[in-house]
Amino acid sequence: MAQPADLLYSKEHEWVKIEGETALVGITDYAQNSLGDIVYVELPRVGKQIDQFGNVGVVESVKAVSDLFTPIGGEVVEINGALENDPAAVNRDPYGAGWLFKVKLTNAGETGNLLSAADYEKIATE
Amino acid sequence: MTASTDLRRTALHDDHARMGARMVPFAGFLMPVQYAGVLREHDAVRHRAGLFDLSHMAQFVLEGERVAEWAETLTINAVGSMKPMQARYNIFCNAQGGAHDDTIFYRLDGRWLLVVNGANAEKMWAHLQANRADDVRLTNLHGSRALIAIQGPKSVEMLQPHTNVDLANVKYYFCAEGSVYGHPAVIARTGYTGEDGFELFVDGEHASEIWNALLRDHAQDGLEACGLGARDVLRLEAGMPLYGHELTEEITPVQAGLQWALKTAKPEFIGRNALIEQMERDDYARVVGLVMEGRVPAREGYKVFLGDREVGEVRSGSMAPSVGGKNIATALVAKDAATVGTVLAVEIRGAKHDATVVQLPFYKRAK
Repeated sequence: MAQPADLLYSKEHEWVKIEGETALVGITDYAQNSLGDIVYVELPRVGKQIDQFGNVGVVESVKAVSDLFTPIGGEVVEINGALENDPAAVNRDPYGAGWLFKVKLTNAGETGNLLSAADYEKIATE
Repeated sequence: MTASTDLRRTALHDDHARMGARMVPFAGFLMPVQYAGVLREHDAVRHRAGLFDLSHMAQFVLEGERVAEWAETLTINAVGSMKPMQARYNIFCNAQGGAHDDTIFYRLDGRWLLVVNGANAEKMWAHLQANRADDVRLTNLHGSRALIAIQGPKSVEMLQPHTNVDLANVKYYFCAEGSVYGHPAVIARTGYTGEDGFELFVDGEHASEIWNALLRDHAQDGLEACGLGARDVLRLEAGMPLYGHELTEEITPVQAGLQWALKTAKPEFIGRNALIEQMERDDYARVVGLVMEGRVPAREGYKVFLGDREVGEVRSGSMAPSVGGKNIATALVAKDAATVGTVLAVEIRGAKHDATVVQLPFYKRAK
């Protein structure tokens, strides 16, 4: 699956979609494929302040627990509650229905620390 | 990290690589952990059939008139009473009753096959050598003989057209010597998934042909190549111990709930006195099954509580598709926390999650 060109990416395989003062966050197709069948996602609480690249939760596959890092800092304003009953949405549609949480940006300049789709592609295919 | 070049490869390594399996180090070998995905492979085994490469497990051949008599002194289960072509689960213990390894003996024509866990292969070979009898000949085929398992309700119909053995005559935990796709094989009705199925002991040089032919001929019937990831979920659901988790040098077969395999009527074997004493005291921590209440999976090493008191730890855990998608686990807990129906709590990242003690196995196939 190609990386959507309109998103920004972290080296830890998360994506960010900037929507004005907020940003939507998820994990990349490469990440979901590496993890395998996802059975549980633990997300930060709504209202929590999170720092860019900080550890904010876990993503668990059948076999393994992986830390979830946020590619962007801010206040969590919404989480994808549908994942509680359907964590496999992250596998099926990592850039759509499998989104994780939405943050109100603290510092829009943090996007400068992220990668373009083309640059992320190089990391993911190394 | 161990470089992948240091790892041994099974006879099927190139097939796994060609098929795009995800390879991981396991028991000193580079082994497939998954092909299409753990859940899809699990589904194939429960409803159709799955094919596994288990060539990392070690095959030892035991020969001589006194093999059974000798093996009785090293193991907790009966060996001498095995019928020709019978297979039997057995455990080698240390003097304290802890488990060196859990194994299967196969009584073949004129020789015995002993299959031990890959991770314990060197330890077990050394143990057999250290306890060897003059008139028992031991041959280590680890790495040269292959082991392919076909497991699932369709195993008989998929395998039958390709073997000269009438599989209907091979009962559960028995085996036959014959051929598969024209190549010599020991065909055993054994497995580690909780389903019907066969384990095929074949020469490494024939493994690839058999593996690819079965997939070629039965992919349309739903046969899937499966990795060790699916195998671990399948065995956990079926309540089967995995060495290093439910059984260790410290965790005895009595603690693991394997008393059915312990024949204390045998006059002398390593670990006998310790195991009898442990059973009589009956105060030991024991392995129980847990079903988690919530959606958070329990994992190995997580602490287990009864009220505020820490009573043990999780030994294996997984989401279990055949247990309604619930999270299941085994845990080694204190006796007073081990009664079926007791509600315990598993501590996961600082929060306690309820889990109920249940009877093992979690899953039993319809006969």
